[in-house]
Amino acid sequence: MSALDERLQELVERDRDHECKGFGADQVCVRIVAAANLPSRFGDFRIVAFWNNRDQKDHIAIIHGDVIGAEAVPTRLHSECLTGDVLGSLRCDCRDQLEKALVKIGELERGVVLYMRQEGRGIGLANKVRAYALQDRGLDTVEANLALGFRDDERDYAVAAHMVHSLGIASIELMTNNPGKVEQLERYGVKVARRLPHLLPPNPHNRFYLETKAARSGHYIDFSGIPHLQEQSDPVIVEGMAE
Amino acid sequence: MAHDTIIVGAGVAGLRCAEELQKAGRRVVVLERSHSVGGRCATRRFQGQAVDFGPMFLHGHQPGFMQALQQVGNAELIRDWPRRIEGNGTPCQPEALRPGVQHITFRAGLKAFPLHLAEKLDVRLETNVVAVRVQPGGFELVAADGMLWPCRDLVLALALEQSLRLLETFPACPEILGFRPLLSMFRSLPCLTLILGYPLESPAVHWDILYPEQSDLLQLVALDSGKRDAPRFGVLVAQARPRWSRQALDSRVPPEEWSEAILDELARLVGPWARHPLWRHPHPWRYARADAASELAQPVQSVFPDGQRLGLAGEIFSPGGGVQAAWTSGTRMAARLLAEERT
Repeated sequence: MSALDERLQELVERDRDHECKGFGADQVCVRIVAAANLPSRFGDFRIVAFWNNRDQKDHIAIIHGDVIGAEAVPTRLHSECLTGDVLGSLRCDCRDQLEKALVKIGELERGVVLYMRQEGRGIGLANKVRAYALQDRGLDTVEANLALGFRDDERDYAVAAHMVHSLGIASIELMTNNPGKVEQLERYGVKVARRLPHLLPPNPHNRFYLETKAARSGHYIDFSGIPHLQEQSDPVIVEGMAE
Repeated sequence: MAHDTIIVGAGVAGLRCAEELQKAGRRVVVLERSHSVGGRCATRRFQGQAVDFGPMFLHGHQPGFMQALQQVGNAELIRDWPRRIEGNGTPCQPEALRPGVQHITFRAGLKAFPLHLAEKLDVRLETNVVAVRVQPGGFELVAADGMLWPCRDLVLALALEQSLRLLETFPACPEILGFRPLLSMFRSLPCLTLILGYPLESPAVHWDILYPEQSDLLQLVALDSGKRDAPRFGVLVAQARPRWSRQALDSRVPPEEWSEAILDELARLVGPWARHPLWRHPHPWRYARADAASELAQPVQSVFPDGQRLGLAGEIFSPGGGVQAAWTSGTRMAARLLAEERT
């Protein structure tokens, strides 16, 4: 067992009876419940499972290198997207965003992806499918999409902030294109050393971003006519794209 | 214009939205079709004895909502009712019995909560809005009695089918284009409810609520008289499952008939004595609640060309279910109207 593995097991032990007054208005408290090696095609990682006292979801940290006690740890927040992450859906860019984050962090000395299990932007998979159904019928509107998704809830940031704290990460470099996320995390006491833009390499599925000017409307139709719905609270930026 | 905002529906969502808008200095009126406030958060008196016949108890965990419940004066809040739960059937709101969720009811009946919310508000009862017209700078509501109600902003805080029906009366306009297909994806669940009075000594039951596992007909039976001080009657409230309720409503089974079916089932589940109440009162809830798979992230609003806004709030427009979701949707609707107000 490596020194890092031992330290992770110590965190599991430490958290067995962890109970704090919680983060944020909802008094969110999380515990590290297990940690293990996770060799993946994107690099060498460890997976850390969390329990929390608010939702019935097991949030995950995917870490690379020794992040415990480290400063300026590159960190990416990713919201679970079953259709994109697992099924390779082309209706969103989540898979690209996740892969890019894992590959990038795998190359660095250390880093962490906080994989938040808030499918469908927090309001569930069924509503995401409902939003897709409206799109298929050409009936989606900004309001309908707001109602069917985006619960960019402060509670989610409270959970993420507590996860960072539990891992003993001293400060982070947040990989995001959304400056609002930095603010949200800082509100819960996370030290954000700086923001790193999260750029996607161009590929056949996101090439259209380089040629669309629809960025402001948040509504992208790709070359095959498939509308892209933003699942992450992070705007997509493809390398070479005018911001 | 006499009113900045008109809210249609004096249920918990509408009342909460009105309360917040009024606190912020807006001139608000709530129009309600029935003869009292509260909507599905309903209590009725039988020879003086309060009986809840909508939700049997309120449940929640959000600090704001729990605090609002505690502010209800002289209604004597009862914590941890139901204490004795029998059967392993699912409750109406699956999250109701999860750990960490608080259960609250009131001696005076659950309606104490909407009554409290309505205390400082201008609520017009028996005012049935049947159509909405879009006017320059606002809306005009048409009531069934012919009265016209002009306003700048409008909030529909109704069961989603009722909101849809009012949306049908709007002129065709792009502003509400997305609303109909959105709302049409959801459906409220019906609940046939039977209130039963027994001699005090006779409901020999040892539970507060029974959630039967083996019944295609009944979702729950509650010992309502257990919530009251010195009750005159033993009162059971029986609530039917959505599917069975839907079938009875769709085939227009008269209340006398479905009441008999409920009594037969009750006798089977509880004991033969339950077959013979002193009195009974049926209440068919056509739009009792949103089903567990139906929840939106937030209330929706649409801005019309002159800046007047239409908002939709209610149980379905907030995550989770039940009265907490309704209350939260009202809070968020008001916050949105206030935050995005044009200057």
